[in-house]
Amino acid sequence: MATKAKTQTLEDKLKRLEEVAALLDRGDASIDEQLAMYEEGMRLAQECRTYLEEAELKVRRLSGEPDESDD
Amino acid sequence: MSIFVPMQDQAVSVSELTYVIKGLLEEGIGDVLVSGEISNFKQHSSGHRYFTLKDADAQIGAVMWRTRSLTFRPEDGMRVLVRGRLSVYPPQGKYQIDVSAMRPEGVGDLHRAFEQLREALRARGLFDADRKTAIPRRPRSVGIATSQTGAALQDMLSTINRRYPLLDVVFRPTLVQGDGAADDIAKAIIELDAAKLDVIIIGRGGGSLEDLWSFNTEVVAMAIANARTPIISAVGHETDVTISDFVADVRAETPTAAAVLVTPITVDDLLEALDERMLGMTSIVRTRIDDMLETAESFVDGRAARRVTERVHLRQQRIDELVSRTSRGIQQHTNRMRQHVEHMTQYLTSLHPLAPLRRGYAVVERNGVVLGPNDHVQPGDTLVVQRFLESSTVEVRTTAPPTILPPTSKHHGNEGENSNT
Repeated sequence: MATKAKTQTLEDKLKRLEEVAALLDRGDASIDEQLAMYEEGMRLAQECRTYLEEAELKVRRLSGEPDESDD
Repeated sequence: MSIFVPMQDQAVSVSELTYVIKGLLEEGIGDVLVSGEISNFKQHSSGHRYFTLKDADAQIGAVMWRTRSLTFRPEDGMRVLVRGRLSVYPPQGKYQIDVSAMRPEGVGDLHRAFEQLREALRARGLFDADRKTAIPRRPRSVGIATSQTGAALQDMLSTINRRYPLLDVVFRPTLVQGDGAADDIAKAIIELDAAKLDVIIIGRGGGSLEDLWSFNTEVVAMAIANARTPIISAVGHETDVTISDFVADVRAETPTAAAVLVTPITVDDLLEALDERMLGMTSIVRTRIDDMLETAESFVDGRAARRVTERVHLRQQRIDELVSRTSRGIQQHTNRMRQHVEHMTQYLTSLHPLAPLRRGYAVVERNGVVLGPNDHVQPGDTLVVQRFLESSTVEVRTTAPPTILPPTSKHHGNEGENSNT
């Protein structure tokens, strides 16, 4: 599922995406540099999207009674 | 020893008889749950409480030791529900109830007890606004203390799952009503507080004032007050108010509302923000490409134009690849872009060109932008000179007025020319 998101967390990716977008927005890079940034930005955005769309709630259980979520 | 007294000739001592009676009552009856009215309530200086429990026709003594916690102040005339053990006190030949727990029974008495505790805690400053801790702007983890089988848990989990399933949820099952519930809730709060989560929700679904009573106890109030983690109290329905609501940092009207409070930013919000970000980036790059196309348009050379548009196309294609799996909005955007590029390409190739690059003329770029006739360069600028077969990067040493003058052009007054005709 979202295993590759392990190395870089969603937070990291969102942060990097903001950086890339800001750099892109400054507009002082060459077109090729801009495209490289754009490519990185779109890849990050897409990875975040996939991660978010596939996210499923996980519940950890703290002590309490012994039986496990049967009902 | 047999509990039956041999009622014959042989005398027994008072102690022996009492001992048998004690056995009969304590073993034969044992645990009791009794409802009655308090009278003669006395709190001894030792802290133990002595009173009589009565109804219209009978009465029974009761004792509640100091170590047993009380969640309200008993008063004569109050109707209460008492849990305890029947016990015999031999020195006075008295039987009584050894009370382990007691709570008001009548609705009026429950209200009275509620008011008592509320005023006591208010006086101790437990409701003060400066004690309240704000919920983090975007919680990453939440502890939930509620019944495992209640609808409240399902409501909260499904709400969190729908809004922000990335939230780290730690669930501590608790009793929420009946004996031991208040202590269990307090313990759960302490445990969840120790787990260092961003926020804790305690709560349960709706019920009668008696059902919700655990949340009107001092032990729960103190656990909330002593916790470092922000706590949301979500007990019952909108109209239910409990002591825990006053002590908690935030009161939620329902468990579902609490789940919304801990997921202020949803996955949908983030997806929308990502879409916007992608659109924004695409539009920046698109503008850049439009600029390039405009520049290309100013070439009159078909081959040069084609070279530029080819490069544009290559990049355009890359952009297409990148956005192809994303939202519809971006795809529509890209389609418009592609049409624009195709239109432009057709226009460019339809021009009847000369071939300045082929003839040795060059296009000069700075920072990836083709220089127009009105652009100035400075010593120290790095320029890229694009010629027919190669491109070189050069640094400007000096600048001076032109040494060759352009011929008077028959070209259609376009200022953006970069090549001599």
